[in-house]
Amino acid sequence: MNDKDVQRREALGTDRRQEISLLERRALLKLGFAITGVFLGGSVLSLVSERRADAAGAPAIGGYPYNPHYTMVIRERHCIDCELCKEACVKTNGVPAYGYRTTILEKRRALEEGKFETTFMPVLCNHCNKPPCVRVCPTTATWKDKTTGIVGIYRPSLCIGCKTCMTACPYNARYFNEERRTIDKCDFCFASRLSKGEKTTACAAACPADVRVFGNLADPGDRVYRLLHAPETMIWVLRPETGAVPNVFYVNT
Amino acid sequence: MRIWLEMSIFAMALLLQPLSHAADKGGNQAGEPYDEDTYGPQAPTVWVKPVKSVIFEHRVHTMDAGLDCGSCHDDLFEMSSGAAAEKDDFTMAAIYKGKYCGSCHDGSTVYNANTRCTTCHIGVRGHQRLERAQAEKGRAK
Amino acid sequence: MNTHLAGIFPRTGGLEARRSTTLTLTLAFLALLAVAGIVAGIHSLVVGHEHTFGVSRGVPWGILIATYVFFVVISTGLCIVSSIGHVFGFKEFMPIAKRAVFLSIVNISAGFLVIAFEIESSWRMVVGNVVGANLTSNIWWMGTLYGFYLVLMVVEFVMLQRGRHGLASACGLAVLLTGIAANSNLGAVFGLLNGQWFWQGPYMPIYFVTSAATSGAVAIIFYTVLAYKVNGWQMSEAMKQSLHSIAKLAVLMLAIIVFFTFWRTVAGVTGSAPGRHEALLSLLNGPYRFNFWAGEVLLGLVLPLALLLVTRGRNVNVLFVATIIAMVGMFFMRYDLVILGQLVPPYHGMGLVDYPEFYTYSPTLHEQLVVVGGAAFCGLFFLLGERFFRGHLVDSH
Repeated sequence: MNDKDVQRREALGTDRRQEISLLERRALLKLGFAITGVFLGGSVLSLVSERRADAAGAPAIGGYPYNPHYTMVIRERHCIDCELCKEACVKTNGVPAYGYRTTILEKRRALEEGKFETTFMPVLCNHCNKPPCVRVCPTTATWKDKTTGIVGIYRPSLCIGCKTCMTACPYNARYFNEERRTIDKCDFCFASRLSKGEKTTACAAACPADVRVFGNLADPGDRVYRLLHAPETMIWVLRPETGAVPNVFYVNT
Repeated sequence: MRIWLEMSIFAMALLLQPLSHAADKGGNQAGEPYDEDTYGPQAPTVWVKPVKSVIFEHRVHTMDAGLDCGSCHDDLFEMSSGAAAEKDDFTMAAIYKGKYCGSCHDGSTVYNANTRCTTCHIGVRGHQRLERAQAEKGRAK
Repeated sequence: MNTHLAGIFPRTGGLEARRSTTLTLTLAFLALLAVAGIVAGIHSLVVGHEHTFGVSRGVPWGILIATYVFFVVISTGLCIVSSIGHVFGFKEFMPIAKRAVFLSIVNISAGFLVIAFEIESSWRMVVGNVVGANLTSNIWWMGTLYGFYLVLMVVEFVMLQRGRHGLASACGLAVLLTGIAANSNLGAVFGLLNGQWFWQGPYMPIYFVTSAATSGAVAIIFYTVLAYKVNGWQMSEAMKQSLHSIAKLAVLMLAIIVFFTFWRTVAGVTGSAPGRHEALLSLLNGPYRFNFWAGEVLLGLVLPLALLLVTRGRNVNVLFVATIIAMVGMFFMRYDLVILGQLVPPYHGMGLVDYPEFYTYSPTLHEQLVVVGGAAFCGLFFLLGERFFRGHLVDSH
């Protein structure tokens, strides 16, 4: 430690007295949470998380009907919105400027004293087990692949552009591609990468913060499986109330 | 010495909260006007390399936290804006090893650089919002 | 061939349409508007909706879907009111039966014309609906059934013109069932979308069929009186009596729609069901409050009901005014239903930054031209129908 370091630490007040007060504050904070938790009938954390996590979202072993059961786990709190994933997706899949297959949304949670905390939330097609978009397609231009579970526009020449799938999707994952005259959406890079032997999607490969983890949920050795079955993990999905049973999971680890 | 103590208590109180980027006010809460000669440039520094987009505000570190220019310049950061981004080792890995921001953001001095990512990583969205705000300010003038 | 056509187009009898310069100019003007709409529609298909329409990723269905719904609901309704007479044999509904069948064809054609430009690669439908038939898709059922409906309707009309009443009535029953099945599927297109809470539920198919009956009663009064006014015809006592009976049906149906609207509103406001609640608030006291209170409630329900009740549905002029107003109000109902169902964004209420809490949509010139074109098409063929089918008179058998 050089002199400058010492000076900085002094300035920021990490001497003994401050450490004590810090510990005291932490203890008080914990006590506060505990009391609040008791009032609310459990720990605060479980109340916040469980409602979204277990209702219709968290994966259950044995409930993976596909193999590979392609899944994406979003380690949400690591996302820094650098948008390298978006750039990679556009480049890999030829997405036009007016559309997107994946994007980043931004959540803001209020903290005390007017402060707030930002969380970036990547969104993409959830490749639902019960995809509402597939049911409504009048011409079967889109379906969920029986092997991989990937929801794709497998017969674009049949897409009439009625856009019912766009209104049916609970995640706004679809858009109409004017150039190809068909609906376009995320296919987990099946056409552009997976079918050519690549193991992961362009967005996951481009992510510098290891936010997007792509893999096979039916394989206990796969990282997505391990992430989703690790202890002390809070897992949630988006819009579980629609009953679509999505395959993009968000975790706090 | 007493002034240093007061400053550090204030700094600790402040750093217990995640840092705010709503730096619209020029001065601090006590109403002291922001002096760029003392506290560094008022406009936030935004790095877009190696990833988009990371914000640094002098005000939070000098006026609010009590550091002076010499605390970081020039051994951690060169005095010219954006110089760090040109260096190959301006990475999170280096920061975790104590370089750049990691010199203080090490988990013991202040919060660790591998936590609270979005405090500094405002992302493409945050950067665009900042630019929009600045453009609006420019128009208002 | 000529004899076949002669059986369909009466040369004598019935009512002679007025031939005047004004009427000819009107026809020409309507034709021009229809062509302008078609040109705008084709242009939008070629260039793409992205550049010509107000629809977006968030609001993919615009005013053209609303207009399609407007026309096909009227068509189904006209089919319903025509069948009351010539399928179920209620004498008082006989005089309007032929006109109703003809206008039913015209209205659904106008609907198809309009939606052909909203469905962005609509030409693929011909092959796609057969090759890719998806039996779980309500829009497939709706489109296919309405396709059959149109064909059957034309057959029914030809049978009526040729005096084959037994066949026409059998055909009429088939058309009625097809039409109601198609129409309720149109409701289900909206009602079976989970996550679009403003629409979601069995309410939609039921509401659509009820709306159809309402629209049919209102539309046939409007078209009949208009035909007589435009051509200067004298209305027979039988026709007056018929309109009076239909007016009574219209009052009943409008009252049912009041009931539907009331409870949808109350149900949406109480309990604050997410998605549905926000949409309803925008209707009651938000950006759509003019559409709702002035369009849907005043024009669509209150004024027509009041006018019909006060005059007991006997004054032909008042009937005419009441039904024009009601038709305008119904357009507001279709528009609000289609657009509002999409306006609450999927991730609303999650505390997102720079994310709309409510989408916006407004129709562009292209879209408006197509809507006007569809209406002009409807008006044009209505007037031509009166001329070529000599007032759609029904001989008493």
